[in-house]
Amino acid sequence: MIKMVRLVSTLVVITSAAWLTACSNKPMTKEVPVAKVDPAIVAAGKAIATGRSKGNCLACHMIEEGESPGNIGPPLIAMKARFPDKAKLRAQIWDATAVNPESAMVPFGRLQVLSDDEIDKVVEYIWTL
Amino acid sequence: MDPVEPMQTQLLTATGRETMKKLLISLAVLLITAVSAQAGPEEDRMAFIKYYKSKFPNVPMEEYANGAYAIDPVGRENWEAIEEFPPYEPFIDRGQVMWETPFANGKGYKDCFPDGPVIAHHYPHWDKKQKMVMTLPLALNQCREANGEKPLKYKKGPINNILSYIAFQSRGQVVNVKVPMDDPDAVAAYEDGKKFYFTRRGQLNFSCASCHVQNTGLKVRTEILSPSVGHVTHWPTYRSKVDWSTVGTLHRRFTGCNKNIRAKPMKAQGPEYRNLEYFLSYLSNGLELNGPGARK
Amino acid sequence: MSLLDKHSIRQSENLERTMKSVQRWVAAAIVIGLMVGSTALLAGEMKVDAATASEAIAQAEAAQKKADSVNGEWRDTGKFIKNAKKAAEAGDYAKAIRLAKKAESEGNLGYQQAVSQSELKIPSYFKAMYQ
Repeated sequence: MIKMVRLVSTLVVITSAAWLTACSNKPMTKEVPVAKVDPAIVAAGKAIATGRSKGNCLACHMIEEGESPGNIGPPLIAMKARFPDKAKLRAQIWDATAVNPESAMVPFGRLQVLSDDEIDKVVEYIWTL
Repeated sequence: MDPVEPMQTQLLTATGRETMKKLLISLAVLLITAVSAQAGPEEDRMAFIKYYKSKFPNVPMEEYANGAYAIDPVGRENWEAIEEFPPYEPFIDRGQVMWETPFANGKGYKDCFPDGPVIAHHYPHWDKKQKMVMTLPLALNQCREANGEKPLKYKKGPINNILSYIAFQSRGQVVNVKVPMDDPDAVAAYEDGKKFYFTRRGQLNFSCASCHVQNTGLKVRTEILSPSVGHVTHWPTYRSKVDWSTVGTLHRRFTGCNKNIRAKPMKAQGPEYRNLEYFLSYLSNGLELNGPGARK
Repeated sequence: MSLLDKHSIRQSENLERTMKSVQRWVAAAIVIGLMVGSTALLAGEMKVDAATASEAIAQAEAAQKKADSVNGEWRDTGKFIKNAKKAAEAGDYAKAIRLAKKAESEGNLGYQQAVSQSELKIPSYFKAMYQ
């Protein structure tokens, strides 16, 4: 019985924490270090990144196995080596013009093309490339 | 006292004055060139040509009238095959009928445009009387309205027929847009078009320049981004993409571009797009008109 | 014990007392703040009614108008407002408010985007061509 209560309360704490993170509208949500990434999140990120209506990363970037990619931006390869700091990769996707005002990259977060949650998922996916 | 002394002083002051004058003149010249280097239409056009020449050193100037096909050998092959049986041909024929058929009052386009139908190269131009950029579609509708006819829609439909006929008849004429520099309103209209061109807009935050200058020659998905020199020579244009499959106007194309970057498009033939057309057309000065065009 | 020592003791006693009262006040403020804040939050989330929806739509329309006044309106802002109105008419106030908020924030962003570029600035990748 006590075990059950503990389990339920832990679950409640976790879900409410997740809910809070998802709801906070801050542009730079701090990444919670996670040992291994849920493959479901990576898959969701891939769907957003490669789909035409959402991230549409392929419009400008080559991605391995991605069909008809553009070449305006650099190919998305060796991302962990290029962005050892995941937060920097997230910041680049959120608003590339913050670092380089003349960047042609869409400010996906700043101009609300993607939600914070969607960007988190895309970051997880891109980081696997 | 040395009698020569006053003479010398005088001479000195004279040379001093001369130097002063020269200095002032050169300063003024410097100022003028500094200002004009930023603004003048001819300086803009030369800057665009210089930019594209450095990007595509092997593309001859006259090729720019062919848009992306000047820099896209694969697309070009496809395009040349399409041009063997031009999809815009029926529209030219319908346009000729329009040109020759009188309005209800007995007059016709011929009365409004006595030099016609070879008139496409006279547009766009600065209309001093109406204090605005006059485009060919607008002039055609002003002719219609002056004769009691309803104006035609500016993006789709029959306006494209008469524009196709005029464009076809005007093939080989040279783009020669003038901005009367002594008319501040004309200069302001040109500058307004230039400002539009370089302004980022829409949720995707692109300016015309983001794609057609910064990234010309690169691909969005499979499409090669065209240079802006040559953008205006081939209108109206038959586009084979599904939601066109017909001939459309330049302002319809502007609308499509703005929608692609998720900006609310401006009104076709409104001041913003007409001024943009003015700026963009000036960049193509010296190129031959080759409309109607065929594109993907 | 010297006078000086007595003085410092009194001083530290005073300090302690002040600290305690400050602590009490801060704690009270936090509790009150939390209460007020959470009620406000609850109220804000609970008010999903026709009045809130129409207020949100009015704010969205104002933001859209502001963006349009500087030619900075985005493509879908009008569509969101239209759909918000439809949802409100159908009684789906939550949807109406969500869409209206989205439209309002687009209007604000579009306005900022245009205003931040009110002066023509030739980008550096092209500026060099004028020399």
